[in-house]
Amino acid sequence: MMKKTLGIFVVFVLICLLTAALSDVFLRPQNVENLIMRIGLYGIMAIGVSFVIMTGGIDLSLGSMVCLTGCGLPWLLVKVGWSPPWALLVLLLVVLGLGWTHGWMITRWHLQPFIVTLCGLLIYRGVMRGLAADQSLGFGTAYDGLRWIATGKIPLGSLPIALPMPFVWLVIVALLAFGFLRYTVWGQHLLALGYNEEAAKNSGIRTNRLIVASYMICAFLAGFAGLLFSMDVNSAQPSDFGNFYELYAIAAAVLGGCSLRGGQGAVLGVLIGTALMQVLRNMIVLVFPAQQNMEFAIIGFVILLGVLGDEWFKRYFAKRS
Amino acid sequence: MTQGFSRLVFWLVCGGLFTACQKSSQTGDTQEFAFVTNGVASFWDIAKVGAEKAGTDLGVKVSVLMPASGVVDQKQMIEDMVIRGIDGMAVSPIDPENQLEVLNKAAASSKLITVDADAPKAKRLMYLGMDNYQAGRMAGQLVKEALPQGGSIAIFVGRIEQDNARLRRQGLIDELLDRSADATRFDDPGTVIKGERYTILGTLLDQFDRAKAKTYVEDTLTRNPDVGCMVGLFAYNPPIILEALGRMNQLGKVKVVAFDEADETLEGVTAGHVHGTVVQNPYEYGYQSIKLLKSIASGDQSVIPASGFIDIPARLIRRDNVEDYRKDLKAKLGQ
Repeated sequence: MMKKTLGIFVVFVLICLLTAALSDVFLRPQNVENLIMRIGLYGIMAIGVSFVIMTGGIDLSLGSMVCLTGCGLPWLLVKVGWSPPWALLVLLLVVLGLGWTHGWMITRWHLQPFIVTLCGLLIYRGVMRGLAADQSLGFGTAYDGLRWIATGKIPLGSLPIALPMPFVWLVIVALLAFGFLRYTVWGQHLLALGYNEEAAKNSGIRTNRLIVASYMICAFLAGFAGLLFSMDVNSAQPSDFGNFYELYAIAAAVLGGCSLRGGQGAVLGVLIGTALMQVLRNMIVLVFPAQQNMEFAIIGFVILLGVLGDEWFKRYFAKRS
Repeated sequence: MTQGFSRLVFWLVCGGLFTACQKSSQTGDTQEFAFVTNGVASFWDIAKVGAEKAGTDLGVKVSVLMPASGVVDQKQMIEDMVIRGIDGMAVSPIDPENQLEVLNKAAASSKLITVDADAPKAKRLMYLGMDNYQAGRMAGQLVKEALPQGGSIAIFVGRIEQDNARLRRQGLIDELLDRSADATRFDDPGTVIKGERYTILGTLLDQFDRAKAKTYVEDTLTRNPDVGCMVGLFAYNPPIILEALGRMNQLGKVKVVAFDEADETLEGVTAGHVHGTVVQNPYEYGYQSIKLLKSIASGDQSVIPASGFIDIPARLIRRDNVEDYRKDLKAKLGQ
């Protein structure tokens, strides 16, 4: 596990050092706090999708899930008039149900995950746009209590930064994921299934159940992240909320050592992958604001570097051992 | 024999279909007009109310179309309307320079006017909207009021390719630097522009991703803790600026100058967190577009002014007139 995340960790540290050298405000407490907050929001999605990637599948519907819950919450609360606990419960049950449907179609009908979730990408955003009639949604000044889930901060004693709630959620999610993969037999089965589905099946693992579960975890976490995103920004537009977020999440997961062929994955790596993407975006605004239109190019280039570095480390260790 | 018979049937069916098509495109004499926006926004919801009101007042059919995914989507909508054989359309082009082809196609088969953003090179009959450059200069005046001693300014907007964004921004910068009026000037969004009293730190383009827009506000504050004023050029930018400032305890400390009339923006004006906002008149955009199109399509060319431009001027909303403005807005939206 250490070997796998070493390459990306080195790139991450280098980028942080570079940014700190180029910008005297990068390490200011407020900026660090902002970054931790963003890592929390995007990291939850990335951990979710890494479960699916570990089984050798893919979930492209993530951005639309974010849209569904992110726009669904203000819509249900403000336009429809539901109470917060009810709205939260229903939305999370809906995304769990959608995740189950993805998994069921993939295992029962042997449909390609790419196709099933691509249709999800189109359907969920479309439905949300229809429901909300394309209106911009927000919580206004009401629901500040509820929004504490995303906007709250936990002070850290004498430290100059406070811990933003999304990061607290991420830590909880990451610990659960780590514990699941490391210490439960299902976690081991999940990796075995991703590595070789036939072999896993033949050795008596109920692979279908695990695949369905992984899509449910992914959808649930994406939906949860969507809730946090919209509570944080306090403004959501169904036509573009969460657009392309599946790619941020998939990139972070792959950067963190998940193989799109399945069978590999490390929670710590996914967290570092997410952090790297956010630091890069932050760096571009802080250090090279004139190049902000090159953002995607820079991120793409660094991802490529990270993956290459990873490969190089792997071969280096393989030769030595 | 049988071959001859089937051939006869084939031609009969073709003929039948042809006349049916002819008929269906002519059914009723109700004229039909379209209003194509440049995206999905509450701003356009108000225009929609205006356009639909004009439709009922004048007894014509009105479709309001809002492309959600940018220029490709808008092109398809315009093409579909052309195919449908519509009598006229008002379009707010997303990228006027590069959409000439589709705009000219629409102009060739129907009556085309531009609204909100102009495409002067296209064969549109006229442009109805606000002089965005002047509106930018008005926003510049608001900044000057908010920061009479001078200071640094950051600008936030979704996309700079759009004429309205480019002109608003240029008007704002030119006003702050006390330059002469020249709408063709263009300062690079990334470079710091230093004037005598005011410094423009940069223009941040979020491509309509709101979460990203918020991170840009935060990062700007981190990079320039002494920023004096933030200006949001599109309707959704000021509420996000307010959200980010609120979370960083900077409300009221960093001045905000806004465009358009999002609820949060107007609440911010009332609360004193927003110094003022430059508002257009989207209701009139919708209403007047349809009214003008109806006149033109009925053969009355006299409504087209020689300049090809009908100005629906911007207004400044500050704390003293914000309540009246809100009431009027609510009445128009029937809330």
